[in-house]
Amino acid sequence: MADQTLPTNAWPANGVPADLIPPGRKRLGFALMAAATLGLLAVIALQILYKTEVTTLGFDTWRPIVYAYVLWGVALGVGQVLTRGEDGQRALFLLPALLFTIAMVVFPTLFGFYIALTDWNLSSFSGRKFNGLDNFWQMLADPYYRNALFNMVLYVLAVFVEYIIAFGLALLLNAQIRARKFFRVVFLMPLMLSPVAVSWMIGKSLMEYRFGPAATLARHLGWDNPAFFSNPITARISIMVLDAWTFIPFMMIMLLAGLQAMSREVLEAARVDGATTWQTFWQVTFPLMLPVSVTAVILRIIFKLKLADIIITVTSGGPGGATDSVSSFIYREYRDRSNVGYGTMLAMAYLVIIIVFVTWLLKFASRFVRNVN
Amino acid sequence: MRVGLYEKLVRAGATRRDILKGAASMAAIAAASGAGLGALTRPAAAADDLRAKILQIPGVGKGQPTDADFQKVGELCLEATKANVKEGEFAGVELTFMGLNNQNLHNVLFRGFLKPWEAYTGAKISWIDLAQADYNARLQQSIATGTVDFDIIEMGAPFEGDVCGKGLTSEMPDWVKKQIDFDDLVNYLKPPVGTWNGKQYRVTIDGDAHNFNYRTDVFADADLAKAWKESGATTEWGVPKTWQEVQAVTKFLKGKQFKGQDVYGYLDAPKPWGGFGFYFLGSRASAYAKHPDDKAWLFDADTMKPRINNPAWVRAIQDVIDALPSEPPDQINADPNTTGFQQFLAGTGSMIPWWGDIGSNVKTNDSSVIGDVTGFSILPGSDDVYNSKTGQWDKLASGPNYSPNCAYLGWGVYVMARVDSDEKKQKAAWSAAAHLGGKDLSLWCAAYPSGFQPYRNSHFNIPEWVAAGYDEAFISSYLKSEGDSYNHPNAAIEPRIPGIFQYYSAAEDILANTFAGKMKAQEGADAIAAAWEKLTDQIGRENQIKLYKASLGV
Repeated sequence: MADQTLPTNAWPANGVPADLIPPGRKRLGFALMAAATLGLLAVIALQILYKTEVTTLGFDTWRPIVYAYVLWGVALGVGQVLTRGEDGQRALFLLPALLFTIAMVVFPTLFGFYIALTDWNLSSFSGRKFNGLDNFWQMLADPYYRNALFNMVLYVLAVFVEYIIAFGLALLLNAQIRARKFFRVVFLMPLMLSPVAVSWMIGKSLMEYRFGPAATLARHLGWDNPAFFSNPITARISIMVLDAWTFIPFMMIMLLAGLQAMSREVLEAARVDGATTWQTFWQVTFPLMLPVSVTAVILRIIFKLKLADIIITVTSGGPGGATDSVSSFIYREYRDRSNVGYGTMLAMAYLVIIIVFVTWLLKFASRFVRNVN
Repeated sequence: MRVGLYEKLVRAGATRRDILKGAASMAAIAAASGAGLGALTRPAAAADDLRAKILQIPGVGKGQPTDADFQKVGELCLEATKANVKEGEFAGVELTFMGLNNQNLHNVLFRGFLKPWEAYTGAKISWIDLAQADYNARLQQSIATGTVDFDIIEMGAPFEGDVCGKGLTSEMPDWVKKQIDFDDLVNYLKPPVGTWNGKQYRVTIDGDAHNFNYRTDVFADADLAKAWKESGATTEWGVPKTWQEVQAVTKFLKGKQFKGQDVYGYLDAPKPWGGFGFYFLGSRASAYAKHPDDKAWLFDADTMKPRINNPAWVRAIQDVIDALPSEPPDQINADPNTTGFQQFLAGTGSMIPWWGDIGSNVKTNDSSVIGDVTGFSILPGSDDVYNSKTGQWDKLASGPNYSPNCAYLGWGVYVMARVDSDEKKQKAAWSAAAHLGGKDLSLWCAAYPSGFQPYRNSHFNIPEWVAAGYDEAFISSYLKSEGDSYNHPNAAIEPRIPGIFQYYSAAEDILANTFAGKMKAQEGADAIAAAWEKLTDQIGRENQIKLYKASLGV
């Protein structure tokens, strides 16, 4: 049978290799892109001047800038085809996604960094004012932000306890136990619940001091005043437990998948060699599961760094900031105090901290896995 | 109706609503064409019938009202609208209404009330429901980003600086003033409240003040009275009249049993509540900080220098710190919603300050167990009051200083300026607002769980409430506490300045730390003062001074 694929040097019927494009067409393409770019920049400049009240010519809203951006994108695409022929056509597959990402991710992030450098209180009569690094210096001296960061360290450390429990559950569900499928579904259920629902069902109902079943049980067990959210330590632990209850199934399901993908021959070989159950686990299963474990822990840490909903619903960060997370603090700064400039600085600084921390964690984890294996 | 005839009646003092109320209105107008005022007697009787009728829906003690009840009340109160709007006049008009959904009240009721209005006028309303704690953020974002996406808003007077001050609201037409019988409002809710630069913007639907709610059975209990005497108290066992007594009673009740259960005294609300929790510290502080010779109590009126760290406020903060160990063990995690609806109505605690909702819920809310054992008064006073001008504590010759906290000044309905360009839409929006602020409908709202409390002189007619099924002693006590708070000569009035909830929210965060023991009372108060100074500078000090003075009437 004849080969149906095109040789690499064959072009589609309407495709033109770049070196065969007439110079006039290339010039037209470059001119189109240049005109579109200049047009876009001119419209943006005009609108900035209008909004800063330098000129009286401009648009009431920024919507025309979006239209100009779309037009520029179209012109860019046409220009690519005109100047680069077949290569340009290929670029058209990528260009919409690239432009969309710039509009939806890159631009908002850069704009966010700009907002972080402004004094912008929504109630202020004078509106938004550029104030350089003032918000940053304020953040460094803010005891509430530092307290929230400290709490985040504790919350992240709790992930390791969650990991141990999740591993135990995964081993259990991987074993030949009765009603294994039923338990797998049951253990997954907390993950299907919204954290807000968990907050109300458990934090504000089951653990309610006066009538909550958990409080009643605690009284029967001899705890006189089972107030789960009144004392800083118990409140912090209670929040950790609520969050763990929701997300342990996530780690467990990842670990269970890892366990099921493990080669049975290795385990059987260990048993044939006379290894005990503990030795099999510690010297065979655990090392082989490390890559999955590291992935599960890192993903869980990333989720943990965003912890807010349970705290906002159950404690509002109290008592005395003991349960406050960075996200719940930023939420209050935005929502209750309309302090957009400072709140954005907190969020951007936290973003940088997360990126640096997770990058380090990934490097450390890959080195750790390599060394162990 | 002939225009000349109508205008003649209005000149004689009748409102449109009066004129057209009841089935016999046309006949009455014809009969009155020579005498004018003679026409008003029969509609007045019809109005009384209507008020008695709606108060029987569903009837006090007959369970919580449902959506069917809201619609029934809305339908019965539609006559005032019909006097100003023809059937189907607003066909094709679409309005967006932004309001709250706390406790399944506010917007939930408005929907029912406005359903018959929609059916009659042909307009259609879509709804934006917000939780109380999200309200401020949503509103501020809409203002700051120029994305006001609603035509009508349920809003409190404290936000008037943010909204009316920025020209975002529509001025109330005269026909609305007549339809809602504007003059019936209690005095403290009349202008300047609801106005900005002399223009009227608000249809008031609520009056707000913190009153003092207490358990009559606890303070009439012989065993507790005996124990009180045995504890060495020199006063008689009874409802505290001053904050000093509140503190003493709260500490005394710690560890005591009543009807087989732990009994607690005062309930504080230390957990932040989107800024609204600060009012509860304000209620503890007003008697200490609001001097009868000085209208200001939160800031110095001339400089906006915070008074939150003066000895009066620090004493109030210290009172909370001292009382918390005698309150339920999880009290540090209680916000006002918890103290009012999960604790007090459910039988925990014997004293709380709250808006009038406790009074209107205690007998009509299904979760209330204290319907027959609740009494009301104005907030407790103080044996002495701090004088900010002299820096001394004064003892008044008249006795304890009382200063009811007129917190929030009630909810109102405001129409946004964006409807002004469309005459039909503007009239529709104001008609909807006027329907919600109608005189008769408001009585029903005051009597049943609605989120609103009495705010009109006509709401204080006790026989109407008794006829509706309220116990006379109970309702007299409740209405007296409300009326005395509104009309008190030394009431502490809410400052209607932009960003007021930012001040409250910043304070809440610091207070939460102070109540948790991380700071002393004075340190916490100083930290709040510093945060408030910064906020004032950020929003604009000169403007804030001007607006604060205006809100105090200085």
